[in-house]
Amino acid sequence: MATTATEPLPSSAEMPPAPPPPKQPPQPVAAASAVKPEAPLSDSKASAEANVIVVPSYSRWFSWDSIDECEVRHLPEFFESASKSPRVYKYYRNSIVKYFRYNPTRKITFTDVRKTLVGDVGSIRRVFDFLETWGLINYHPSSSLTKPLKWDDKETKSDSASNTTESSSAPAKENTKRLCSGCKVVCTIACFACDKYDLTLCARCYVRGNYRVGVNSSDFRRVEISEETKTDWNEKETTNLLEAITHYSDDWKRVSQHVPGRTEKECVAHFLKLPFVDQFQHYQQHPAVNGTDDSCNPLKRVTNADAESELDTVASAEPNKRMRLTPLADASNPIMAQAAFLSALAGSEVAQAAAQAALTTLSEVYKATKINYRSFPRNTLLQDAGIMSNGGNTSDSFQGSRLHANIQLEKEELDVEKAISEIIEVQMKNIQDKLVQFEDLDLLMEKEGQQLEQMKNMFFLDQLTLLFHKSSAPKTGECQEGNNVKTNHGY
Amino acid sequence: MKTPISGFYRNPVKFRMPTAENLVPIRLDIEIEGQRYKDAFTWNPSDPDSEVVVFAKRTVKDLKLPPAFVTQIAQSIQSQLSEFRSYEGQDMYAGEKIVPIKLDLRVNHTLVKDQFLWDLNNFESDPEEFARIFCKDTGIEDPEVGPAIAFAIREQLYEIAIQSVVSARESRMSKKGRRGAEYTPVSKGGAAAVDLVKLFGPKSSVVRKRKEWDVYEPIVDLLSNEEVDALEAKEERNFR
Repeated sequence: MATTATEPLPSSAEMPPAPPPPKQPPQPVAAASAVKPEAPLSDSKASAEANVIVVPSYSRWFSWDSIDECEVRHLPEFFESASKSPRVYKYYRNSIVKYFRYNPTRKITFTDVRKTLVGDVGSIRRVFDFLETWGLINYHPSSSLTKPLKWDDKETKSDSASNTTESSSAPAKENTKRLCSGCKVVCTIACFACDKYDLTLCARCYVRGNYRVGVNSSDFRRVEISEETKTDWNEKETTNLLEAITHYSDDWKRVSQHVPGRTEKECVAHFLKLPFVDQFQHYQQHPAVNGTDDSCNPLKRVTNADAESELDTVASAEPNKRMRLTPLADASNPIMAQAAFLSALAGSEVAQAAAQAALTTLSEVYKATKINYRSFPRNTLLQDAGIMSNGGNTSDSFQGSRLHANIQLEKEELDVEKAISEIIEVQMKNIQDKLVQFEDLDLLMEKEGQQLEQMKNMFFLDQLTLLFHKSSAPKTGECQEGNNVKTNHGY
Repeated sequence: MKTPISGFYRNPVKFRMPTAENLVPIRLDIEIEGQRYKDAFTWNPSDPDSEVVVFAKRTVKDLKLPPAFVTQIAQSIQSQLSEFRSYEGQDMYAGEKIVPIKLDLRVNHTLVKDQFLWDLNNFESDPEEFARIFCKDTGIEDPEVGPAIAFAIREQLYEIAIQSVVSARESRMSKKGRRGAEYTPVSKGGAAAVDLVKLFGPKSSVVRKRKEWDVYEPIVDLLSNEEVDALEAKEERNFR
């Protein structure tokens, strides 16, 4: 997952001055960024070794001079707004990376960084988080395997990385727990995911609007969290469970009481998931308890790919030690899941023979009753097949029930058709009534239109008469004025 | 012939920081149970309020401060942002005025003293760029000095902008239409703003007088540990 690359530092023209070493001595870190060989080195070799910076393979896009497309996508504020520019972003990014690379063994914090950068702290924080997520700062190869990847882009980037790096490191397993991007708390019940910006928020943060600039509440979709993620068993609980089973054997009520906060069902489910060791072999007389013998050993979930491959080799050497999984193992139908579990116990040959027998019986029944089986769900057929394999004496009752079911089905179909026709009739009636109403309204509108037209004409007449009066009035006024003038001049 | 006074600064404009980026200077000085936290930074007022809490939590985590600081930091930032927002939308005078900006600050071992003129009417001015160039020109290596200078400039410009709003409000109240032409904002240092017309009139020279050289010359001094301790003790006494 990590490529070791000796990257040249940028020239002083494009970068701010190198920050001085921190005031306090750097804290020791589990693994240094540059792996030093055991053999003693010469001074020149040692100095060259010190310049080696470990960069994750999914961050190989990073370059001092250019801005990658993923940077534009994840930090749009620097590329879309007028006040912030890509130049400012580059200054922030390069300064932070350079500050970290001054001493790659120590973990730098956002507060350390913002003291040395001019600009608003919100933007600096977002750039810092982005760089930290991509492993360009605070990246230590030892801890990288356990650290889950945050954005989908990383997977795509890692795919495009060289084969050597891919083969050398194990792919990170997807983290089942969903962490809130806002408060960094594990989401329970439901969370809100934004595919556009690869954000996951808990309900509280979503309601408070605790997400970055440029993201709207409409961008999020509600994601239900399955019970599995909520009910992770810790070591203490598992130990308590095993102790309880040792003491109370298959008394699951008492077992669940011994494990606080867990139900009987959860205890059984978890016990079935556990890998069985020698100390539980004496529970063979209680098939309800262990559900399997020592020949069937469910594998532990392994996070490391190397360990997984080792287990595969062990499993191939001893095929009986590994549980055979069937396509129906995760069926939603509990009966089918049980059947799948039992078939896994029996072995593929037995299951194959049973299935063959079931199919033969089914085909005989089909010929006898001439029922179209396509109308029945697949799960039902398979369940019936299981019933048939128990013995042929049930075939008559099965046949009868099939015929009865068919008659019932036809009856129901007729009822449904009848109901539909009635509904259609009622709806048609409603539509007709509405049409009549609309016609009445149309007539009313026409009448009102005529009335308006009449009123319009009347108004027009009134205006004409008014204009006529106005035009005649000034003439009389003029005459009076003329008389006044004459009299004035007469004085 | 006398240069005609531009009519622009008679007309008020809507309040904003007289810089390219509309950033709010935030200053924190919080003491809880004997632990004191001082900080200064700029904040984008268009960021959602949820960012305040995120920032507060992050700072407390990074500096390993007691959890009680989270609410105090968040409240302090929020109150300063609210004050800034209370001025938004109001009229302010942004006339053809240049104001003296005074720097007198100490960052770690570096002491900076300077005085220069700043054009209030230039809404594209960049204090951050100025601070970067200042550090480069004076050979300051401490990366914390640049942000401190930029912050000091922004803080003074913010103070002047607020006074411009107050002045515009007063002129509206007193119904004096020509008040804008006479308005002289006062910087934080207390010096009156300089009129461009008077400063660069037909008879005056753009070359500064020799006796003023010392006043406008930047002083950058590197302090010893003893001097820093003495200054910190003095600041602490003043605070108490």
